[in-house]
This record gives sequence, structure tokens and C-alpha cells, in this order.
Amino acid sequence: MNLLLGALTLGFILSLVGLGVWVSFRIFKVADITVDGSLTFGAAVTAALVVGNGTNPLAATLAGMLAGMLAGTVTGLLQTRFKIDPLLSGILVMTALYSVNLRVMGRSNVPFLGKPSLQTWCEELGRAVLGAPSVDVFGWPVAAGDLAVVTLAGLAAVLVGSVLWWFFRTDLGTAMRASGDNAQMIRALGADVERYRILGLALSNGLVALGGSLLAQYQGFADAQMGIGMVVWGLASVIIGEALTGAPSLGFSIVGTIMGSVFFRELVAIALGFGLNPNDLKLVTAAFVFAALVLPSLLGRGRAQEVRP
Amino acid sequence: MSARADDSPAAVEAMVRVRGARKTFNVGSPEEVRPMQGIDLDIPAGQFVIVLGGNGSGKSTLLNGLAGTFRLDEGTIEIDGHDVTRWPEHRRASLVGRVFQNPFSGTAPMMTIAENFALAARRGRPRGLGWALNAPFRDELRDRVRGLRMGLEDRIDTAIGALSGGQRQALTLLMATWIEPRLLLLDEHTAALDPKSADQVIALTDEIVSSRRLTTLMVTHAMQQAVNLGDRILMMHRGNVLHDVSGPAKRRLRVDDLLARFEDVRRRELLDEGAAALLERSYV
Ligand SMILES: Nc1ncnc2c1ncn2[C@@H]1O[C@H](COP(=O)(O)OP(=O)(O)OP(=O)(O)O)[C@@H](O)[C@H]1O
Ligand SMILES: [Mg+2]
Repeated sequence: MNLLLGALTLGFILSLVGLGVWVSFRIFKVADITVDGSLTFGAAVTAALVVGNGTNPLAATLAGMLAGMLAGTVTGLLQTRFKIDPLLSGILVMTALYSVNLRVMGRSNVPFLGKPSLQTWCEELGRAVLGAPSVDVFGWPVAAGDLAVVTLAGLAAVLVGSVLWWFFRTDLGTAMRASGDNAQMIRALGADVERYRILGLALSNGLVALGGSLLAQYQGFADAQMGIGMVVWGLASVIIGEALTGAPSLGFSIVGTIMGSVFFRELVAIALGFGLNPNDLKLVTAAFVFAALVLPSLLGRGRAQEVRP
Repeated sequence: MSARADDSPAAVEAMVRVRGARKTFNVGSPEEVRPMQGIDLDIPAGQFVIVLGGNGSGKSTLLNGLAGTFRLDEGTIEIDGHDVTRWPEHRRASLVGRVFQNPFSGTAPMMTIAENFALAARRGRPRGLGWALNAPFRDELRDRVRGLRMGLEDRIDTAIGALSGGQRQALTLLMATWIEPRLLLLDEHTAALDPKSADQVIALTDEIVSSRRLTTLMVTHAMQQAVNLGDRILMMHRGNVLHDVSGPAKRRLRVDDLLARFEDVRRRELLDEGAAALLERSYV
């Protein structure tokens, strides 16, 4: 039970990463590997501020998110102003971020060591609200702190999902979607497509870094390696989500990504419970995304992708 | 309106003023082309101009130059009294509405009809955090789309990519004119359609352009369209305006006359460059 609860919490936290990847992959149609670096960037900035500086955890989390937006902006500038291939832009920024992250952290791993973080705040809140160190859930003892953490992680996912749903239905957000769908058209309608792309990638990587910051606080440390393979993991969430909901609309696509993230984490937890070697996890994830990308067209009932001249 | 003192009255009325426009693509390479070789053009407000010419004569380049897809090498462009020579494409969109040849180009296929129109309704205006769609807009949209008589008013929430080319071109035309453009550019916007859809879209074009007296440039290869529509014909050849016919002369023009002029151009193609230039100077 505790294993599944932990997986649920992770699923919610990483759904922010999934939503970030959803923005770059579904709106701009690029698999933006900046994600692998910006996730760690968010975690590193938050950890360095909290541990080294005693910064307020909320401010440190926000700073982590801003760091990710900065990384996304750089990738966006490489893609637009310097006309570098989107994939290569992401690779460049991700590689550069590896050094930046080590600089920010000062070493390759920074533990929080019980310093006040959003994690410890949530745990205290849980104990205060429930008035007991643990409660029974369907006959299983669950720590009050864990319950509070999973609830707030879920709320964060729902909140971010709602904000995205709202944003992409505003004038600005609709134009951003169009700039990924048909740049020629929206340029002729007066939108500065390059600016929208930069803005969108900043948004995407900001969400990813926010997820990274929360992940670091949840697991109690930031690590230079923690971002590796995260873009593939985010893609898995997006794709599973579309399979689960059919993604007939924007809202379903967003909800689906959160569901996909949670669903996949639970699957992983169960597989690990049955003895899957954690070292094989990334291989399994990559194989899974491959299968999810290829199977629909093999089965001949692929969702009609964009129609392009 | 331009307030410059030296403007002659006729020039002040011009919605579009092109002076000495030149453009060379692929400079210095064997593929160097000069689709604009010093074009001067005045288009009075409300004039409907048909642009004719052979393949590669520079028709699309003229329209793209007005829309700002590229910067001129030399020359100036004024639209509605604004010197837009250095404006990027997205800025000129506040003055210019466009329909492209390819039905896929003018609409965002994954987005709904309503969303596409919401984008068009903010052409050249700032885009903020207000809802893109609301009930009054949807009602107005349904009304205007009903006017197309294509039965699309009940489908405004379907992805526009699911529609036929003709339907998409008709919608794109409606989108381009949702906010009245100071200049409407139509580049062979019926060329990719089957004859029936093409006729439908041409009829719609005539209706919109004449009823609202929009200043329009329309490129076409269909001589019959050129004869039936518009107030003026420009015939392009090798980056120049070779013939410019308007007024009563345009109204008298028949398909045979146009074909004769094309034949004339074709014969000149056989002459060497120097002779052609000489002929051109005395001809134009
Ligand atoms: N962006 C560009 N880059 C390079 N060459 C270009 C560009 N735009 C146009 N050209 C070239 O300029 C010449 C004129 O092209 P343009 O598209 O204006 O012709 P057109 O009159 O519209 O012909 P068509 O009837 O085939 O559409 C062609 O040789 C074309 O290849
Ligand atoms: Mg053309």
C-alpha cells in the first residue's frame, strides 16, 4: 500500500514534467531534450538555495521553476534567432546545463538533510490536520505526512493542469497552439511566431523544472543525474494519456497526461514489486514509448495526425 | 492618409504605393532570379486588381513582397499611408489579409473552425489572456458561416483539417476579411480546387470584394476570371508589369485579347535579351 501511495505521489509530481513535455511535443511538435537538463536545473537551484542559503522553500521552488524557464528561453532562442535544428538546440542546452547544474550544486549530490522544504512543511501540515502520526486507509496504516504529501501533490497537478487548460484557450494560448500547427497561417494573421515559440518552450521547461524541484524535495536530495531519460518518461505520460482518454480535446489531453503519469508510475511500482531490476527501468520506458509510437500505425487505426501539404 | 506635402491628389488616394521595388533571390548563385525588377505600382482604394502572367513571372513574389514575406532589396512600399517597407510580415498583418493557393496554408488543421476564426478576429491586434471564444462571438460566427451556404454553421467545433479544400478556402477568405483588411491578397486561391468548388469560391470572392469595396490583388491563371472580375488587369513578365489595363479598356477586354497578349509575350521570349529590352522600352 505504501509503495502504491509513493508511486501515486511520484506520479502526480512527475505529471508536471509530463505536462511540460506535452507543451513542447503536442503544441510545437518537437521532442525537446532540454527537459533532461532543466528538470535537474530546477532541482539544483531549489536544493542549493534551501540547503546553502536557508531560503524559504516556496521561494526556492519558484526560483527553480524560473531557472527552467530560462533554460527553455535559451533553447527557444537557439531554435529561432539562430535557426538551429530543434533537436540539436535541446541537446546543446541539455549538455551545457550539466555543467551549470554541477556549478549550482557545487557537487553532484545535495541532500536536504531535514532542512525545511515543501516536503517537511507538508508532513507537518498532515500531522497537524489529522492530529495523529498515522491513520488507517482501508485497513492499512499510512503516515499522516505521506497522506498530506500525496494530497498536495495531486492538488499541484490539478492546479497546473487547470492553468494550462485555461491558458491554451485564451487569445495568446490559442495563437501559440496555431504557431505550432501552421506557422505560415498565424504569421499572416499577425503573430510573431518566433516569440511564441520561445515563450512556449520557456513555459514547457518551467513546468519541467517545477516538477524537478518538487521531486528533489520529495526524495530528499538533488542529483546531477536525476534528469536523465526524463523527456522519454514525459513522452510516455503524454502517449499513455492519449491512449487512456482518446484525447478528443485539449482538456482530455491535459487530464490524460496527468493520468498517464500516475498510471505509468503505478505500473513501474508493481513491476519493481515483482522484481524488475531498477537499472532496467529506462530501457523498459524507452521500449514502451517506442511500442506506443509504432503500434497504433501498425494496427492501422492511428489517430489521424496533422495533415500537411 | 499620408500628410506629405508633395503628394499629388491621385497619389494620396492610393491604398498601395510601390516605388522602384527590386528583389533578387539566390544572389550570385547559378539559380539567381530577379522576380522584381523595379516595379512601380499605385492601387487606388477599393480597386480590384487581377494579376496575370506566366509561370515564374513574379506574380507571387509581388504579393509576398506586399505581405512582407521578404524584404525588398530596393524600393519602398506604402499601404494605407504607412511606409511598411521595413515592417516584418506579422506587423503588416494589421493591414493585409491573405488567402494562399494551398488550402492547407491558410488554416490551422488541428484546431476547430471556431478557434481558427478567433485567431482571425485578432489579426494584427495584441493577443492577451482573455478567452479566445465566447458565446456572442460564436453566434456571430455561425451567422457569417451560414452565409456561405455550405452547412458549416453546425460544425464550428470540428477540426478545420477535416474539411474539403473548397470549404477551407471559403473559410479562409471569410477569415481574411473578418476584420476589414486595407489590402486583400489572393494568390491563385482557387487553383487547387475542383471546378465546382473553384466557381463557388470565386463567386464568394466577388461578393465579398465588391460589396465591401476591398482593395484587392488576385492572381489567377484563368482568363475567364480575369475578364469577368475586377477593375484592372496587370500582366507580369520577368519581374516587370508588362501590361496595365483598367477602366473602359478593361471592361472591353475579352479572353481572345488576353490570349493574343500572351502569344505576344511568348514570341518575345524567342528574341534575344537585348532586343526584348528594346521592345519593352518602346512597348510599355
Ligand atoms: N523565396 C524565394 N527564394 C528563391 N526564389 C524565389 C523565391 N520566391 C520566388 N522565387 C523565384 O522567383 C521567380 C518568380 O516566382 P513567383 O513565385 O513570383 O512566380 P509566379 O509568377 O507566381 O509563378 P506561378 O504562376 O508559377 O505561381 C521564380 O523563379 C521563383 O523560383
Ligand atoms: Mg505563384
